[in-house]
Amino acid sequence: MKAAMNLTRRTQQFLSANLSVEDALPTRMPVYVNSLAYLFGAAALSALGMLILTGVVLCCFGPGWYHVSRVGHFFNSLHFWSMQVFFGVVLLHLISKYLMAAWRDGRWKTWMVGVLTFGVAVFTGLTGFMSQTNWDSQWIALQAKDAMNALGVGAFFNPLDTVQVLTLHVVVLPLITTVLVAIHLFLIRRDGPVRPLPPKRRPQ
Amino acid sequence: MSLRSEANLHGIPTKRYDLIREGLIVFIVLAVVIIVLAMLFGSPDYPAVRGEDVAQRQPIAYLKTSANILAGNSSIQGYGPPYTANSGNAQQLLGFAPAAWLGVTIPINPPEDLILKPLARVALLNDVVAGALRTYRAASSNQQQSWLKAYLAALDKATVANGQVQVPAGEYGPVDKLMKGMLNLGRAGLLEGALESGVRLPYALDFTRSLLFFQDDVDHNVAQTLDMLGGQWGISHETGDYPGAWWLWPYTLLYQIPVISISPNGDLQAGAIMSVFFLVMLFMPFIPILNRLPRWLGVYKLIWRDWYRRQ
Repeated sequence: MKAAMNLTRRTQQFLSANLSVEDALPTRMPVYVNSLAYLFGAAALSALGMLILTGVVLCCFGPGWYHVSRVGHFFNSLHFWSMQVFFGVVLLHLISKYLMAAWRDGRWKTWMVGVLTFGVAVFTGLTGFMSQTNWDSQWIALQAKDAMNALGVGAFFNPLDTVQVLTLHVVVLPLITTVLVAIHLFLIRRDGPVRPLPPKRRPQ
Repeated sequence: MSLRSEANLHGIPTKRYDLIREGLIVFIVLAVVIIVLAMLFGSPDYPAVRGEDVAQRQPIAYLKTSANILAGNSSIQGYGPPYTANSGNAQQLLGFAPAAWLGVTIPINPPEDLILKPLARVALLNDVVAGALRTYRAASSNQQQSWLKAYLAALDKATVANGQVQVPAGEYGPVDKLMKGMLNLGRAGLLEGALESGVRLPYALDFTRSLLFFQDDVDHNVAQTLDMLGGQWGISHETGDYPGAWWLWPYTLLYQIPVISISPNGDLQAGAIMSVFFLVMLFMPFIPILNRLPRWLGVYKLIWRDWYRRQ
């Protein structure tokens, strides 16, 4: 009789093949990891952390809080600038990884999950703009509805349904973003930093 | 090290590194930058356009909006899915109209839902409006349009004195009384509530109708004043000098191209182009030429200059 599959052993085998503790929390790094370009990913992660922290505070007091409270407005400003910084460093991260052709040696999955994360982040940002409950959200939602309707998305996502937009922004999209970021980080740490491109040889 | 990372980094010299320390330093620096930006610049919070404000400050614009919706002149009237059944008006590209695929999911009949139903509520409190509403509903469609056409023309000559709108006398039938009812509804601050009366009160969670009410002229004029129209790179900034979704600059750029900006299918064209752009980014590792471009650009030599020097 065939023995039942041992899920714990399978998990152990998967981790020992793909992600040791040293991979997840490295204390040594290849010497070619020596450029500011490597900091953009960590900066994007930090800005995402600030977005989540400030977003949780705003969630605790509700979407109308920042209109009537100076403290609330300050946290809204922190969230706003976290978002601006986030997209700035994410784009620097994306451009630098492109210029390094960082998808080489089987790292195409890391690249694709990263681009997917960027796409979801853009949509999360849009729902954030539409959740401000002020003139900007009013106008952006009216503009967005034409784009969504034209693409056929309007049948199940209505930018003028403020609560649908808000719940997507504070729960569903951050959850998807976080899961994608976790997969992205797993792939990065599993494969390690991509080797430098071979330099072009000058003819002798 | 795992089997995979051992294989990947075999033969590469390594240096000491502290992931958590580096991560904390980056986080603290970023947090300080964000806190300073928030303290120095704050964030935008321009008040929303409300029926009460428009009725008080721009009563003629309010009346024009209401009369135009009742006359069937609103942009939602023949919008197509998801609001109305005019599938032929859905934006099309190469014969495809994605908006029409799932049909009408948010049915809106603008004259009925945005004007006559709110007025039916006013009629419960006001006999004059109740009588005018009965007269209007009993009239033929041609008669209704005749009254509305005359009223809309008269609004161009209307004046405001002491907060009261003076419309020149004319053949408007009950329309003048109905519009006064709408104006008073707005001035009382009850327009949005009356528009959302079909939803699960008191838990009004969906503001589709009240957001659509002023979208044609009033909101458009406010957006133009604040440089927020599509042709004014509106997506890239918020009110004032605050940055908006500037990362959508390529998307905004499409709306500056006349072929797209004046096309009735412009939103679908721009959306399709951006979808292709996204797919190109996604599949970049497999797209010939584009995946070789980093080698030809040579910026990598700067990023890994220490490594090449070491070699």
